[in-house]
Amino acid sequence: MGVIDTLVLCSLVPILILLWRGPTAWDRLLAYNTASNRIVLVVCLVAVASRQAIYLDVAIGYAALSFLGVIIVARFLERGGGQR
Amino acid sequence: MTFAAYILMGIGVGFVFVGSLGMLRFRDTFSRLQASGVADNAGLGLVLIGLVVHSGWDRHDITLLLLLFLMLITNPIVTHSIARSAFVQRHREEREQ
Repeated sequence: MGVIDTLVLCSLVPILILLWRGPTAWDRLLAYNTASNRIVLVVCLVAVASRQAIYLDVAIGYAALSFLGVIIVARFLERGGGQR
Repeated sequence: MTFAAYILMGIGVGFVFVGSLGMLRFRDTFSRLQASGVADNAGLGLVLIGLVVHSGWDRHDITLLLLLFLMLITNPIVTHSIARSAFVQRHREEREQ
């Protein structure tokens, strides 16, 4: 299980590069969404590896909150926010 | 059982890696949306199903399946919302010029 954890964490590196240099705001929003997906995946892997079922509830809460945040920021950018 | 679980999780991690590199490689917002939205669902679903297979069938697996169901519903909604937001904003900028 440790190998798969490490590989998923290594796949966060290109996403952090995109989050840093993304040309528009939507690229950064997409990078945030993808990074939160990877983090949920790592939390699930750690929960199954350490046999702590309470971490799965943490993963569900994190997924729901990141969904709400991305939807709200996307609606904010759609209505022209952040430019004037 | 463990061998099948590791095969499933390996294929899923491959999808996740290809999605990350595709997001770094592509040059447009919509291309990045396609790379992320297609590869993320496949990788996440395969890794979570691999975790369910790995731990046998105990009572915590229903939480994993609930999380998989939640992600399979919310990921296309997020992708569509970001694409619609970028498209509407670009169209508005072109109309104002």
